[in-house]
Amino acid sequence: MRVRRLLRFAAIGAAVVVLALAGFVAARLLGGKTGGLMQVVKASPEVVARGKYLAEAADCAACHSAPGGAPFAGGLGMASGFGTIYATNITPDPDNGIGRWTADDFWRALHDGVRRDGQQLYPAMPYTSYRGMTRADSDAIYAWLMQLRPMKVANKQTALDFPYNIRLGMLGWNLLFLTDSLPATSQGSGSAWQRGRYLVDVLGHCGECHTPRGLLGEMELSRSLTGFALGRVAAPDITPAGLASRGWTPASLGTYLGRGIAGPNSAFADMHQVVVLSTRNLASDDIAAMTSYLLGDKPPAPTVETVGEGNPAGRTSYVALCAGCHGLDGKGIPNTIVALRNNSTLRLADPRNLIVATLDGIGPQNFPHRMSLPGMPGFADKLSDEQAAALVNYLRVAWGGQKPDVTAATVRALR
Amino acid sequence: MSLPTRKVTITINGKPHGPIDVPEGMMMIDVLHEMLGLTGSRLGCGIGICHACVVIWDKDDKTSEEVQTCITGAEFFDGKRIRTIEGIAATDDKSEVTLSPVQQAFLDKFSFQCGYCTPGFVNAATVLLERLKRAPVAKADVEATVAAALEAHICRCTGYVRYYQAVRDVILATPGLTRDGV
Repeated sequence: MRVRRLLRFAAIGAAVVVLALAGFVAARLLGGKTGGLMQVVKASPEVVARGKYLAEAADCAACHSAPGGAPFAGGLGMASGFGTIYATNITPDPDNGIGRWTADDFWRALHDGVRRDGQQLYPAMPYTSYRGMTRADSDAIYAWLMQLRPMKVANKQTALDFPYNIRLGMLGWNLLFLTDSLPATSQGSGSAWQRGRYLVDVLGHCGECHTPRGLLGEMELSRSLTGFALGRVAAPDITPAGLASRGWTPASLGTYLGRGIAGPNSAFADMHQVVVLSTRNLASDDIAAMTSYLLGDKPPAPTVETVGEGNPAGRTSYVALCAGCHGLDGKGIPNTIVALRNNSTLRLADPRNLIVATLDGIGPQNFPHRMSLPGMPGFADKLSDEQAAALVNYLRVAWGGQKPDVTAATVRALR
Repeated sequence: MSLPTRKVTITINGKPHGPIDVPEGMMMIDVLHEMLGLTGSRLGCGIGICHACVVIWDKDDKTSEEVQTCITGAEFFDGKRIRTIEGIAATDDKSEVTLSPVQQAFLDKFSFQCGYCTPGFVNAATVLLERLKRAPVAKADVEATVAAALEAHICRCTGYVRYYQAVRDVILATPGLTRDGV
């Protein structure tokens, strides 16, 4: 295993060096573009409207609109193991944004991960997923972006550690990891399934969070959509088997994508933003297409709800700290407090998100359709590691159908 | 059918209570109101948001903390010491009541109108003063410190400004809660 890993490293290293050199020469020969004319895009209102819809499906705003910042003026920092990467200004400002970019330039960025000036993008920009986008859709998004109000907001400098700061190294990375199409995660063939695959894998770029990442930050495509913790909150398994094991059906999943709340489940952390900025805007047939792809043409039967008897110590903490809102029976309060019974987060084999929610709480959140949930307090200061582990184990057994295998050490590691 | 009960012993405002048989799942606010006759804490939202119901939990490490009694079961307080709004003012042997500086300031500044949220604000401000006694803040930071400490408390009459001003003035007038410089 170690030898293989070393060989893999050596191969990657060699490839990076060779390609960096070749790329450097090529880049010099072809030359990126700077300066140039401000582009004026003539597109029909229909194309612009379609571009807006597609940009929402592609959730450009999630990264390119920083909290409190001007829309699409960039600035959101994404921490990675290699350093922080900043999303850029994609308004049509000529100096800070894409005002001088042509539709070709835009397509190259989405399809090849190359900026207008010829520099490589880092795959924090999910060209790894957008590569599957049609040229027509790229052009429509471009047409919509180009009629936004230009924002004179300078880009923040991405500064990665050596050697990752050498953008040309991405040529080697792309050669190793960039593929034209991501492997399908479900069985299907119908037009809804095809459309869903496009919405999930390409526009929605779901795999960028839900697919595990390897040593060099690449998506491990053999384990597509099986779940990964890029940040503190993990993106769970959204393969058909993973979803069905937590009780999801096409109907409940569609409601969740459209509204952010479905039965006992509510979107939180980054997924809440995904719903609010992106999936809530999708037409019902596109939502249906997404669920058709995520669960497959023949969705597996959802695992039935299990009710078990958890440990007494955990139950004592539950009664003292949780039952006031979630209820002794775990059924919550309609439209106010989510139920824990049958809740997807309790039914995850990985206890991470349940522990993080218990310790940190979840802030108040607004949802589409005038729904809102009040915040849940964190209980880090009221529960010792042992108590938190007992509580989480109680919940897993009582309403999650999971093993009580959480230890105090697991909790401590997440404090 | 009778509800299962648990025995709970709590020290409230310096006085030991219990063991009391508390029905499982009964929230502390109900125990205060229905079983102990301490009706000063207010039940507002019932889901831990408005903070009208908070009591002060005196921890073993000598620090104090607010706890919402509408969402916290009585069992949580078993063996613990708390103060409720009834225990904030001092009462001497002749039943003479002396308000705490926070209570007096709220009266002086006309901080409250209907008064429903006031017990919660008094307790929050009391906890803040006790914290500043242990860890003073720079005078320049008092305003922000008050805002952060009282932020979670909701006042439907929107008396925030006078609540915040009253607490700020108490802090600035009390030696030892602030320090010069930054």
